[in-house]
Amino acid sequence: MDTGAYRNQPFDELSAAMHKVAHKDNLDTIYERFAKQQPQCAFGAIGVCCTLCTDGPCQITRKAKRGVCGASSDLMVARNLLLKCSQGTAANVYHARNVARTLKAIGEGKSDYEIKDEQKLRQIASLFGIDGNAPINKIAKDFGEFFINQINSNDYEPLKLVEIVAPKRRLEVWKRLDIIPGGPNSEVATALSKAMTNVNNDVVDLLLHCLRLGIANEYAGLFGITTLQEMIIGTAKPNKGEVNIGILDKDAVNIVMHGHQPLLAIKVLEIARDKKWQKKAKETGAKNGIKIYGSLCEGQQIFNIASEYKDVFFGQIGNWIQQELIIATGAVDALVFDYNCVMPTISEEFAPRYHTKLISTDKTIRQAGVERLEFEPDKAVWIAEQILEKAIISFGKRSEVNIPAVKYSAIAGFTTESVVSALGGSVDPLVEAIKSNSVKGICAVVGCTTVREFQSGRHIVNLARELIKRDILVIGAGCCSSAMQNANLMSLEAVKESGKRLASVCSAIGVPPCLSYGSCTDIGKIINTAVSVADALGVDIPSLPVVASAPEYMEQKAVADAFTAVAFGLTLHLAPAPPVLGSPLVTKILTEDVEALTGGKVFVELQPEKTAGIIEEVINKKRQSLGLKI
Amino acid sequence: MKRLVVDLQRCSGCKRCELACALEHSSSKEYLDVFKSKDGLKPRIFVESIGDRPVPVVCRHCADPLCVSACMAGCMQKDIQSGVVNNQGYEQKCVGCWMCIMACPFGVILTSSIDSKASDCTFPQAIKCDFCPNKATPACVEACPNEVLTVEES
Repeated sequence: MDTGAYRNQPFDELSAAMHKVAHKDNLDTIYERFAKQQPQCAFGAIGVCCTLCTDGPCQITRKAKRGVCGASSDLMVARNLLLKCSQGTAANVYHARNVARTLKAIGEGKSDYEIKDEQKLRQIASLFGIDGNAPINKIAKDFGEFFINQINSNDYEPLKLVEIVAPKRRLEVWKRLDIIPGGPNSEVATALSKAMTNVNNDVVDLLLHCLRLGIANEYAGLFGITTLQEMIIGTAKPNKGEVNIGILDKDAVNIVMHGHQPLLAIKVLEIARDKKWQKKAKETGAKNGIKIYGSLCEGQQIFNIASEYKDVFFGQIGNWIQQELIIATGAVDALVFDYNCVMPTISEEFAPRYHTKLISTDKTIRQAGVERLEFEPDKAVWIAEQILEKAIISFGKRSEVNIPAVKYSAIAGFTTESVVSALGGSVDPLVEAIKSNSVKGICAVVGCTTVREFQSGRHIVNLARELIKRDILVIGAGCCSSAMQNANLMSLEAVKESGKRLASVCSAIGVPPCLSYGSCTDIGKIINTAVSVADALGVDIPSLPVVASAPEYMEQKAVADAFTAVAFGLTLHLAPAPPVLGSPLVTKILTEDVEALTGGKVFVELQPEKTAGIIEEVINKKRQSLGLKI
Repeated sequence: MKRLVVDLQRCSGCKRCELACALEHSSSKEYLDVFKSKDGLKPRIFVESIGDRPVPVVCRHCADPLCVSACMAGCMQKDIQSGVVNNQGYEQKCVGCWMCIMACPFGVILTSSIDSKASDCTFPQAIKCDFCPNKATPACVEACPNEVLTVEES
């Protein structure tokens, strides 16, 4: 495949149609911006550009083997990588802190929420010495407080979350490497100090710190986000819904919930049910009332629990790359977003052109022309009402509407529990299927979408197609899930695209060959499933026929997640190449040497077909060493 | 005869040559002044993306330059000794007819702004690579960190 041939061309037909509309209206989208940035500087792309101090910017060139401060290419690359990893960890932990704060507020009776999954809260809290039989509000308060304290604890005290929740075999490995993290915020602060000019020039130590952050990212970030959110809004359940831009309804007040934190969205769904609001919308001319949609990871998280909101939630509208195209329909009356993955062009160019009312709900966001209604646990209902009111007003300001007619559907809402219940109550049938080679292995295809290389989901979708053909079960999360949903790979129809053996397993239990676990913050659940399978087989994670892939990784949270995967001993495929190629040493450590330490490693491959081949090889090798047939 | 030779494999696309060229041909030669000025940076070397590779596009100072043939004012000339093709320093003045821009197959000639201090003209003129007459080595060659650009004399 020639990467250049896809420049400026969205992958799916609906995005392509909207891209034409934006083009006609003289608006640059991410595709045009990418083209205008070419050529991009290779020093940055391979990690040997340093802009930390005023003696720079320095680059490692044919003339200069060291930066002004004396840093070698190895040090520059490792330092830059640690900085990205820190930023990603900080962001995931920030999200977890917000959820923990809401949990605590519920316990104190200072919120608009209740505990939905009491059983889960009692069970998890009791792991940490909180009385699981106490009144539920007391547990919520104590556990919320405990979690916040864990996030803010010192880096010289090992994180209890890790010591108690992590699998024993992993703990031994991490202890040996001395990478059991302390409090994530203080680990991030230490990492930032280490990466300063003229502090640390031990490349191995800097990379080990990345692994520490990876572990903190899992337990104080991803695990916390998923688990605590499930306590508050309920646990994922498989359900069928519609996807992609075509789901917008020209006769409804359309509200898109965009971002990463779903707590407010759930309140908006609940309030939108109220006849009063639906009536108000109809009186303004929207004969189908108010419809709420999810976008990006926030949408995936709503989709996970959407079975109880089918009357107001109308599907997953798309992934990161599609956001401008979604607005270009002219049919989005309000875009409500929290932190992460909102392009500045939405507020500066697209929303003003297509009438969309913008509302930001997280304190990290400040954007010109965007109304701020910052989330507080006890203001959720009020904010939700404001959102509905403003969306209805915005409906009246619509001009031309262009909604592509095609609709696709997908099944979402998988998690360790729902997979286990689909299997009849235990993980054993999956383990048996792996043993008998009906399922050759599992590949987690996770993370962002990017406009580099194949652009906007081509790598993700082509890789997933190749994998299921080879009887490898695919688990998706984040924008990868959305790309697969748009390509119809997360519906039962995709079963016929998979290999015979995988197809028979999927039709027997009625699941698609590509399972959506939800958002990029739900990656923790994938690790949780891997741990369950490893426990059932009585082995450690690196022995499992399980591989992870981030085929279109883009931003810093993905860097932190990558180190989580490596720390857990997974073989990880990355594309595009991370900015490390300027240091042969760092490249060798990540792609070879680290395997002897954690059992995990990274490989880079830009061609989807070749990627699938390598993943199959890795899986076969792991099957062989487990004594399973191939 | 002088020519710029480009080693394509070595180019990183950092565009330091563009920056050095624009500064050398500015009146103040100070990055911030030029960046803030109405004209902005006006390089005469262009790093383009061709087939996903960065490619510095430079004036070839052709043996039989089409821009010289196209110049009705007789201002664009090829210096017999150095081989450098340029429209500055000759008796005839550029009148801004842009025929050289039309004729150049490499697209390396562009227009100055009216208030350009490069000349005493009150209208825009054609500007292009002049091989940095005030320097022993052209600014782009000096600036390149990867030795992509070299001067060949034959």
